[in-house]
Amino acid sequence: MLHDLFDGYTRSILVFTGVNVLAAYSFYLPFKTGQVSLGQAGFMAIGAYASAVLTQKFGVPFAAALPVAAVVAGMMGVLVGFPALRIKGIYLLLLTLGFAEIVQVITLSWDFVGGAQGFRQIPFIPSILEYVVALIIVLVLFFARLERSSLGRAMDAVHQDETAAEVMGLDVVRIKLLAFGLGAAIAGLAGALYAHHATYIDSNSFNIMVGVEILMFVIIGGSSTYWGPLLGAGFLTLLPEFLRTLRDWLELVPVAWTDFFPMNRVYDFLHDALDFENAKRLIVYGIIIMVMMILRPDGLLTRDSLRRLTMPRGA
Amino acid sequence: MIYQQLINGLMLGASYSLIAIGYTLIFGVLNLLYFAHGEVFMVGAFVGLYLVVYGGANIYVALAGAAIACAALGIVAFYVSVRPVPKDRPLAPLISTIGLTIVLQNLAVYIFGGQQVAFPETIRQELYHVGPVTISSVQIFILVVAVAAMGGLWLFIERTKLGRAIRATAENHETAALLGVDVNRVVLVTFVIGSGIAGIAGVLDGVKNSGISPFMGLGAAVKGLVVMLLGGLGNVVGAMVGGLMLGLIEILSAAYIGTTERDLFSFLILILILLYRPTGLFGTRTAE
Repeated sequence: MLHDLFDGYTRSILVFTGVNVLAAYSFYLPFKTGQVSLGQAGFMAIGAYASAVLTQKFGVPFAAALPVAAVVAGMMGVLVGFPALRIKGIYLLLLTLGFAEIVQVITLSWDFVGGAQGFRQIPFIPSILEYVVALIIVLVLFFARLERSSLGRAMDAVHQDETAAEVMGLDVVRIKLLAFGLGAAIAGLAGALYAHHATYIDSNSFNIMVGVEILMFVIIGGSSTYWGPLLGAGFLTLLPEFLRTLRDWLELVPVAWTDFFPMNRVYDFLHDALDFENAKRLIVYGIIIMVMMILRPDGLLTRDSLRRLTMPRGA
Repeated sequence: MIYQQLINGLMLGASYSLIAIGYTLIFGVLNLLYFAHGEVFMVGAFVGLYLVVYGGANIYVALAGAAIACAALGIVAFYVSVRPVPKDRPLAPLISTIGLTIVLQNLAVYIFGGQQVAFPETIRQELYHVGPVTISSVQIFILVVAVAAMGGLWLFIERTKLGRAIRATAENHETAALLGVDVNRVVLVTFVIGSGIAGIAGVLDGVKNSGISPFMGLGAAVKGLVVMLLGGLGNVVGAMVGGLMLGLIEILSAAYIGTTERDLFSFLILILILLYRPTGLFGTRTAE
């Protein structure tokens, strides 16, 4: 259905953007209770490898393997979540970073899943874009519901002050573990979807930088509302593509407009500056991230800006 | 055999220590996970390479040049990615230093290309046999430079007025400011020193591995973080000893257990420390 709407390249971009959105939500859920994880890439890897093994080695259909991947990653999440209960702040960042590194070392050295050669010939699923879009819609509805539910409010309470939440009778351990485990399960889904689109994964597919980027999606999008992860992941994933498109637009300018003295220099300069094939594009990306944290340290979208959007007359 | 491994472990650990020192200094005074530190290390290696290849400099000039260039880069990094970002949001400075990491790494790819570049031989390779141990002139050079840098830093921190100001600021910002410490200057000094030492570490890494690449920073950064934690956040001597320990642990586990398990060990140690001794092996303070 969606498959025929786009050419292969656009479809790929959309799938990877969607996977990043899911990954951003996997970070956002534990973050709602104040748990900051740099290790979501590790859970993505677990989901990806689980689904790849089930479909390719045991012939399980993808539709059955996908939920299993989420469950496996979610159980891992609860396992990691237990020790994570004891620590906070930079220590939790480092713990989850260490977890992701351990997953990477294991996938690198375990021959059953391809080891250093990587996992090849994972069944390609043509309808992956439908899965991605459907899951994003489900998650947005889930978070919209969560915002108004007692569980969501309990999570906010835990985020703001754990001791106070505990005194009020909230089961802090259960809430934090639930958020961490569910977040890991969402990451597992994202990983599995990635694997069945890329058809090849190796230990480097889910390295530390992937986990770091996921954190960036949420903080840049804005972590105070559930639209933030969607916006951040969408914006940052499509930004390089947008920079590329800018150059294509520039090339549409009629030659007659630009082949006399000052304009030809301007054209060449712009064309050269927008020639974002490799490193340059990422340099611009990095600069934009830095500028963004100076100008909007709370992210692109905050509760206030959302209110202003929905109530235009400053009510 | 075991002595040989011990030497190799110390060699590896010395470079971990040098990177971790910068992390722990900066964490100490700012309570900030400064992500771009590994890229400063990488820039140091490339500055050293350029000085040797195009400047015809000897290795001592290259070391000094890399230290100065990285110290300057540290100042720039502070002013573009730390100073302008509001401090009351704990994740914003982390993200902006990640942005800087991406910029520096890709700037290096843009200028030097994405491949590994050979580091020229700057020290004549000679082998000395001391009993059962074989040690090369390169290894001796690296150990001597690393020990000298760490010793100098230790004297600076423990014996000078500025060093005392750094320790005071690390202990408590407000109190230090009340007692007349210029906190802003202290923060800048820690960036200069930490980055300069990372530059030296970068050149030493080039000399040791005879090849450098724009992607060498990330791995070094992660190992530096493990060492910082091992030594206790903000503890400079802890970072020095912790680096040597991690080096020894990695080399010994690689020699007697297996090379792929080597990284597994360093991260298992990281997790065990986090769970059972979050103040590090020698640390006394905790971070919020």
